[in-house]
Amino acid sequence: MTTSAAPRPAAVWVKRNLFRSPFDAVLTVVFGLLAVYVTFQLVRFVFVTARWEIIGTNLKLLMVGNWTMIHLPRIAIAMIILAVWGGSIGGLIHARQVRRGTSTLAEMSLPTRTGDLVRRFGILIATVLLLLLLTTTPGPWLMAAGAVVGAVLGRVIGGVLGRLHYPRPVAVPGALVFAAIPIAMYFYLIDAVPLAEWEGFLFNIFAAMAGIILCFPLGVLLALGRRSKMKLLRLMSTAYIEIVRGSPLFVLLLLANVSLEFFVPSSIAPSKPVRAIVTFTLFTAAYLAEIVRGGLQSIPRGQVEAARSLGLSPVTQLSRIVLPQALRNVIPAQIGQFISLFKDTTLAGLGLGILDMLAVSEAITQQPDFRGQGLIIETLAFTAFLFWVGSFTMSRESQRLERKLGVGTR
Amino acid sequence: MTDSEELVFADATQVADAVIELEHVDKFFGSFQALKDINLKIGLQEVVVVIGPSGSGKSTMIRCINRLEEHDAGRIAVDGIELTEDIRNIQEVRRETGMVFQQFNLFPHLSVIDNVTLAPRQVRRVPKAEAERHAMELLARVRIPEQAKKYPGQLSGGQQQRVAIARSLAMRPKVMLFDEPTSALDPEMIGEVLDVMKDLARAGMTMIVVTHEMGFAREVADRVVFMAEGEIVEVGTPEHFFTNPQEERTKLFLSQIL
Repeated sequence: MTTSAAPRPAAVWVKRNLFRSPFDAVLTVVFGLLAVYVTFQLVRFVFVTARWEIIGTNLKLLMVGNWTMIHLPRIAIAMIILAVWGGSIGGLIHARQVRRGTSTLAEMSLPTRTGDLVRRFGILIATVLLLLLLTTTPGPWLMAAGAVVGAVLGRVIGGVLGRLHYPRPVAVPGALVFAAIPIAMYFYLIDAVPLAEWEGFLFNIFAAMAGIILCFPLGVLLALGRRSKMKLLRLMSTAYIEIVRGSPLFVLLLLANVSLEFFVPSSIAPSKPVRAIVTFTLFTAAYLAEIVRGGLQSIPRGQVEAARSLGLSPVTQLSRIVLPQALRNVIPAQIGQFISLFKDTTLAGLGLGILDMLAVSEAITQQPDFRGQGLIIETLAFTAFLFWVGSFTMSRESQRLERKLGVGTR
Repeated sequence: MTDSEELVFADATQVADAVIELEHVDKFFGSFQALKDINLKIGLQEVVVVIGPSGSGKSTMIRCINRLEEHDAGRIAVDGIELTEDIRNIQEVRRETGMVFQQFNLFPHLSVIDNVTLAPRQVRRVPKAEAERHAMELLARVRIPEQAKKYPGQLSGGQQQRVAIARSLAMRPKVMLFDEPTSALDPEMIGEVLDVMKDLARAGMTMIVVTHEMGFAREVADRVVFMAEGEIVEVGTPEHFFTNPQEERTKLFLSQIL
């Protein structure tokens, strides 16, 4: 533009980035209109036409299915204890970082730290608040308040405990007791409601977490097996990985549903959630094995040679030198696989007839109050949204973890 | 029998109490023979510098001494322990033998102090406090105590190599093997690493050093070994070696690099 003496920066930016050539201009106009239209429809759906009362009415069903009402406080208590547990892990990690001088929190002020937490978990917190606003009873509020207080308390406790030094005879049993807390919570819950009756979002979350925890060691072992010098072990690992990776997860779930009855009487056959979790574990382990193998291959030979030349045993070479680096190098891919697993838990509904969140969100549209009103869009959108919040938070945390672990290592 | 072989045998038998013994060692990579009938004995507190053109088997030879490579024939013993298939023997030899690599091979995910204390704590079960005290001593000896809490990626090449030396020394080895320790360094950093190695030699460490640093060989070596095409061609004192080499191949090599 030669006519205007000094075009404003914004105008320059628009011209450069949106209307550089006639073709660019056409694209800008077309996609601009499309974006406006989609946004308008979306906003209109969410705030005007959608009838969210089906969610509010059925929130308990969506979250925990037919969990017995009188046993709901157990979930709240378990959540609060796990919040204390999780908080104290944060505290322990922080204390360790301070000891090693790698803490980035130390130089952060309280407002920055709060801002950091909001950036990390803002969407999660906002979603929890939204869910709380949809509830009609005080129970969930009490649980949420308890969890927040518990997490803060745990953080403080962990910070103090992490500063102390423990002799080995105290540290090892202490760590074991600490690791056993989530398992204890599991038994506390199935004491009231057996695993076979865990439904709704609770099932999805539990199946995903159990699957992630169980598939991890199996995946690492398979990866090591595939690189083993022992031919039989290598062959078996490779065969397992390739067969499982070649099978659709949904088919495996269907198989888990029907095939066990051929082999064992139904009275002693494992319950459906167990079958689902086992299938998820075996399936994800095969993918994880390939991811871990990639990580193992990224470690230069010199690392192992140095470890060997120092006289480290083969187990120590792996556990102290190779695996820490290999697993760190493939964190994004690993978390990606875990996110997949989390979302794939919705296949258990149709595959095994478990009333998971997706199954609930379909079932509730058939209730007398809502039947024939086409509310499936609302319930599916809500379900998709919750899974997105979970997945997105995991993804963000994985990026952060990767950044943090990368500090000072290369 | 050629002159060179006689020379080697004559020299090898001179060593009274050998810490490292190689007898008739052969090593193949596929059909390529990397080591041909290697005979060498190295005495306590001796510093032996191995020189020779690239591909002559220098690195392969010292990598056989701590079993990073397996020899195919002959006998290798370190401090009286023979290297066989027995994994316990191999582990014992590796505990007694420190190795410094061309590429440093520090553990990038561990801080400097953890790099140095890892092996003593894991292999020798030294308590943490004791291991760290010893590590700080060693880091002072290689002149970088102030870097203890840093990570290898934050150090210069010369500093990294000195940490690698400290890491090996932490196992209190009887023998130190150096595989071209200065070849990957920028010129201005070579000196600081060689200085540390000279200190070590003066302190009486038994060392085998594969290097192209002729100044170091002249100044520090008790004996110089010249290798070519997988064979030990000539062994002698630095004076003999640099002033009066006997073999044609030695003369040619020295004329190329000096």
